[in-house]
Amino acid sequence: MLNTRRGRILIENLTAYLFLAPAGCLIVLFGLFPVAFAFFVSLHRWRRFPDEYVGLANYEKALGNLGYILFFWLALLGFTAALMLSRRLRTRLRETNAPGQGSAALAGVISGYAALLVIDWFFKLIPVIMLIPRQVRGRDTSLALFMEKFGESFVSPGVYEAGNLMLVGLLCSMVVVGALFWRFRSAANGELVILSAIMTTLLVASVFLLRLTIQETELAINAARDEGESLPIWSQLVFVSAGIVLIAFAYFIFQRGVKALDNRRFALLVLGGVSLAVGGYMLMAEAPAALAAADDDLLQGFWVTVMYASGTVPVQLTIGLLLAYLLFQPIRFRSFFRMVYFIPYITPFVATSIVFRVIFDAGQTAPANRMLALVGIEPQRWILERSTLGDLLGLPDYLAGPALALVVIMIYSTWTYIGYDAVIFLAGLGNIPGELYEAARIDGANGWRIFRHITLPLLSPTIFFLSLVAIIGTFQAFTQIWILRTGAVGNRVNTASVYIFDELQNSNRYGYASSMAFVLFALILLMTLFQNRIMGRRVFYG
Amino acid sequence: MVSDAAGMAPPVTGKAPAEGPPKQIDWRRLGIYAVLFAGVLIAVGPFLWMISASFMTLSEVSLTRLLPEKLLWENYATALRRANFLDIELATDPSSGVLQSFGVSGYIWNSVRITLITVVGSLLVCIPAAYAFARMKFIGRNFIFALFLSTMMIPGIVMLIPHLLTVIWLGRLSESIFGPAGAWFNNWPALTIPFFASVFNIFLLRQFFLQIPMDLWEAARIDGAGHPRFLVSVVLPLSKAPIMTIVTLGFIGSWNALMWPLLVTINDDWRPIAVGLSNFVTADTPGDLNLQMAASVITVIPILVLYFIAQKQFTEGIAQTGIKS
Repeated sequence: MLNTRRGRILIENLTAYLFLAPAGCLIVLFGLFPVAFAFFVSLHRWRRFPDEYVGLANYEKALGNLGYILFFWLALLGFTAALMLSRRLRTRLRETNAPGQGSAALAGVISGYAALLVIDWFFKLIPVIMLIPRQVRGRDTSLALFMEKFGESFVSPGVYEAGNLMLVGLLCSMVVVGALFWRFRSAANGELVILSAIMTTLLVASVFLLRLTIQETELAINAARDEGESLPIWSQLVFVSAGIVLIAFAYFIFQRGVKALDNRRFALLVLGGVSLAVGGYMLMAEAPAALAAADDDLLQGFWVTVMYASGTVPVQLTIGLLLAYLLFQPIRFRSFFRMVYFIPYITPFVATSIVFRVIFDAGQTAPANRMLALVGIEPQRWILERSTLGDLLGLPDYLAGPALALVVIMIYSTWTYIGYDAVIFLAGLGNIPGELYEAARIDGANGWRIFRHITLPLLSPTIFFLSLVAIIGTFQAFTQIWILRTGAVGNRVNTASVYIFDELQNSNRYGYASSMAFVLFALILLMTLFQNRIMGRRVFYG
Repeated sequence: MVSDAAGMAPPVTGKAPAEGPPKQIDWRRLGIYAVLFAGVLIAVGPFLWMISASFMTLSEVSLTRLLPEKLLWENYATALRRANFLDIELATDPSSGVLQSFGVSGYIWNSVRITLITVVGSLLVCIPAAYAFARMKFIGRNFIFALFLSTMMIPGIVMLIPHLLTVIWLGRLSESIFGPAGAWFNNWPALTIPFFASVFNIFLLRQFFLQIPMDLWEAARIDGAGHPRFLVSVVLPLSKAPIMTIVTLGFIGSWNALMWPLLVTINDDWRPIAVGLSNFVTADTPGDLNLQMAASVITVIPILVLYFIAQKQFTEGIAQTGIKS
């Protein structure tokens, strides 16, 4: 039987899953499951052990009313994604007419439900299991006792019913999918199953999220009413969302206006865009009110992250590209230069941060101050300096910018990442076919025009990749801030991630820290999507 | 930058640029070298001063001398001891002089152990997975691969708390099975197992495995070899370069790790070098800058040596993944 074609395919599939099993288990355990788990933890008060369910209270503590608003947006995003998937599914069904497509879509829906039932069961089981150590604490913690408790948790009320439901769901899904592949064997059907399963999961998850948000909002409003206050979450939701939609629309109209050829059209569209943007901005005036009850340290963390990213990413990409372009010229010692530029990136950040700590010390004779003295600038307090660049230069408040201590950290990050960027840019430059340059030169293009019209567009995938990596890197930045921050600068250099870490390490508030981490995740997700849409359109994939 | 880019364009001669410059002083190329050497100076300047400062007296460091008056090698011995980097205990039998016990401890030793476990575990887990993605056909391959890749985009801080809870809880589970030795928290499993299944490694290996000619597989199959056999006896011997890259990256990764070990270690039993160095420096403020520099040099040296050995594969490995994703 194993020598038939079907048998060989079966063997190949089984071997592949066997090969994947260790990596798959670990990735699910340490890669995928944590995201859902972080969300789950964030809905609870949770110190060392899970405590009571508190709904979105942690989010309200982090972001004020905006916490609720954010969840509406997330639910909306989920619906949109599900809608887009369903459209893709529909065109797929209409375009090709392979046998068994309708049943494949149905099987996908059933599998999606089964997956949701598994998740549901799992998150009912987890808190019960997590409480075992507390129950057996003090008693003789033997394996037998533990296993007994472990077994009990599977049949505890709630978990047991969910477990049975899950088993039924899984069985149905397996039967349906198995029958499908028995009847119509084709890879296209497999993709259809996965597509519609994802769609179903997304749709139901969004419904769940929306229901949760509405419930929680009502609860919060009622609680406020009992205390004689009114909580204008709904109006804030409408105003802020409308503001953002208007601004996005304004951007869209403005773009069209800029491209318009006719003068009158141009004026009208640009004028329309600008006035829409102003309207949107005025509606957004509600945003500060929605954020009134937010955690100031967290907001400061986001602000630091934004400054940090906007101060390092463009600089490091520009210098990296310049170095790569120079290295790409016909020169000697290219591999030597490449090797040396890479050194700051690979050496341990702890060690190099310590060197920078000494270089940018506040002392009169510290290396950085020595260098300033060479050009006649008075010594600075660098890593101990709380005042912002704007203060030091005597600029008005709204141009304050980052604290000088943060500038040191920005210099450090730029220094470490330039070499990495240059090496990747160099590889990107090598991938551009030489004939293009030659053709351009024959057409009489000069250096700058070649760079602008051939190198840059063909390099845009690399630029896109590197800027994404760099921005995600700013959210990940930890070591350099940990080493380079001093007590004197307070929260002026703490990015959101560092603040979350502090909150976790010092006060063990897992629930609250999780909610902040999840907000950060949502922001990064939104930003990546946005960047994909805005920049992705300009990226040229040869 | 604009003018630089314009200035360095190859001359419009209609010749290919590779044919070499004219035989006169080429100011453009001189300019290129000047910029590149300035870059070298900025890249390695802090290192050079770090090495120099590690040999100085404290007052020389605080006055920012460029070179020490006298090379104080004892700074290194003091730093090693004070920072608890390495401690080797040899107990010999007083009568016969035979070695009785041999104990190594300290942060360097911890980091070496962690690195070894991580790298070996990672190879064992990632190679089969990468092979499956590159060379086998199975249902849901693209979907699973996309799912794996998507985990790379999730920022570490989001995972921190669930990782911590998972590790604590899995540790309790294994403790109740294996006793205290099975603990995860403040022990090697918490520091290594979460990093076994590195999506980056899987991706790197997969890209390499895809390049291995299909003919080899056909030949092996005719000889009666299955996938496991082919993987072990044909693919692995061919894949020294990516494996070397993974070993190097794994080494650097565990040598650098700070945030996670800060959370999951509570004493020096398994605490890695980055945490040790960080604690040494932050506990020592403003402190003995020369010793701090010496400790930093000690931390940097193994990485630099490894980098110089594996430099070529390493930069190319990085560049390739950067281009292809």
